[in-house]
Formats: sequence, structure tokens, C-alpha cells
Amino acid sequence: MVLAAGYLGFGALANGSDFPLWAALLSTVTIFALPGQLAMLEMSIAGSVPIMIVITVALTAARFLPMTVALLPMLRSPGRPTWQIYVAVHLLAMTGWAASMRRCPELPLEQRLPWFVGFALTNWVACVVFTAVGYGLAESLPPLVRQGLVFVGPLYFVLILTGETRTRHGVVALACGAVAGPLIHLAAPQWSVMLGGLIGGTLAWGLVRAKKRA
Amino acid sequence: MLELALLVVGCALATYLWRGLGMLVSGRVSMDSKFFIWAGCVAYAMIAGLAVRILLLPTGTLAATPLPERLAACVIALVVYFVFRRNLFVGIAAGFVALVTLDAIRSGF
Repeated sequence: MVLAAGYLGFGALANGSDFPLWAALLSTVTIFALPGQLAMLEMSIAGSVPIMIVITVALTAARFLPMTVALLPMLRSPGRPTWQIYVAVHLLAMTGWAASMRRCPELPLEQRLPWFVGFALTNWVACVVFTAVGYGLAESLPPLVRQGLVFVGPLYFVLILTGETRTRHGVVALACGAVAGPLIHLAAPQWSVMLGGLIGGTLAWGLVRAKKRA
Repeated sequence: MLELALLVVGCALATYLWRGLGMLVSGRVSMDSKFFIWAGCVAYAMIAGLAVRILLLPTGTLAATPLPERLAACVIALVVYFVFRRNLFVGIAAGFVALVTLDAIRSGF
């Protein structure tokens, strides 16, 4: 539901930035990770070099590694071919992951993967639809409402990050990134997402480490 | 057009890489290792930096709204979100309504 709002915003943002509809839809189908898609959209408008965009998107998606590692042992059951799981993990994203981590332990082994796929697939299809709806709405709506819709995309992350980040590393990294990202953008717009993350993240990592030693 | 399609597909592969890699290393690597902690920090900082940057220095549609309005709407959204016990939907709806209302007042509706 809320993720849908995020994709509604993404669609509207794409339209507002003259990004073609087919490319916005293709990105929801194939990437299915909102932060990465936002980064791709913003960077390609800023005129970044494609290889930098791909590297940045790769870095924003790094969270999937620990998420997959945590969820997989629950989805495996004897006799299920591995390729099915390789296909299923494409649908892994924040919402489906959080729901599965909560729900799967209650289900019998062989029902867990179907449950995950059912849930994630529904999400996926809904997100594709909402990308198109957001894109379409952006044209017919008055500018006031359109601005509100575009505003939803970044707002979604500000709220979810402030509310759901629990680890000390995470909180410090958020603060450092929030300062570093915009500052670097003033100097070098094409590099701000990636450099902001690398500098802010490394700084946060160093700060927490120094604090622990002191 | 082909370039854009390649870009999207490239980004998709870069994203799937981590999901697939997670499959491969599942159960073999300790998640507490320094590298993963650092990578997590970078990911958080990157998303936070991007979101805050779009709010402070937007391009496209949002650039038409003044900065104080965006900040006020963002603060309202955060307050409502926490008052309603981290209800994302209510928080986002509040931010949306706040921005549209502030904008409407400014342009004299």
C-alpha cells in the first residue's frame, strides 16, 4: 500500500523529468528497488556517465545481499530445485522481505516459498501498475497535486529511514549521508549520490569505530 | 532509446547481482564482518543523501515549490508519522496534503 504510493511518486517524478514511460515501467519490472530507480532517474537527468549510474545503483542495492542471506535458509526445502529460488529472489524487496521474515517461520517448510512468491508477485505487479498510474496522472492533474505526488517519493525514504533504522551504524550513516549528499551535489551534481554515500558511509563507519575504542 | 534501455537493463543486472550473490553465500559468510557493516553504512548514507538532496535541491516538477514549503511539509509528515506510531501511510498522506495546501495558500486559491 505504502510502497504503491512510492511508485506512484516515482511514476510522477519520471513524467516531470521527461523520462519516457516505457523506461520507467521497464525499470520497475527489472530493477524493482525504489532507491536504485530513483538514483537512476535523477542521475540520468543530471547527465551522469552510464557506467557511474550502474555502479551507484549497484551500491544502493547492496542491502539485498544481507537480506537475501537472512531470508533464504527459511525458504529452502528438500527437493525444491535451486533455479526456482534464483528466480524467486528477483522479487525480493523491502516490503516482501519484512513480511516473509515475520510470517515464514509459522508456515510449514514446503509452503514458505509459494507464500513468499505469492506475496512478492502481487507487490511487483501492483508496483508496475502504480508506476504507470503515477506517470499518467502527472499529466492530467493540476500542478499543485502533481508536485505533491512527486514529493511522496523522497518523503517515503525520509520517513522509513528515520522510523525503521535501529542500529547505531545505521543512524550515524543516515545523518552523515543526509549532510554529505546535498553538499557534494552543490559541487559535483553527477557524482553526488555515489560520493555522498561513500564519504558519508565511510565517515559514519569510522565515527562508530572511534567511539567504540574511546 | 537503445542507450536508455541498456542503462535500465544494466541497472537491473547490478541490482540482481546482490540478490543472486546472497543466494550463493547464504550460510557461508558471517554477516557481522567489517565489510558488510561498512557496505551497510554506505547504502544507508547513499539513500539518505539522495532523499534529502531531492527535498533540498530538486530538479524538475518539485523545483517549482519554495524550499520552506518543502521543509515544512517534511517536518509535518515526520511529526504525524511518529505521533501515529510510525504509520507510514498516514505520515506520507499528511506530507502530501501539507505540501499541496501550503502551495495552494501561496498561490492564492
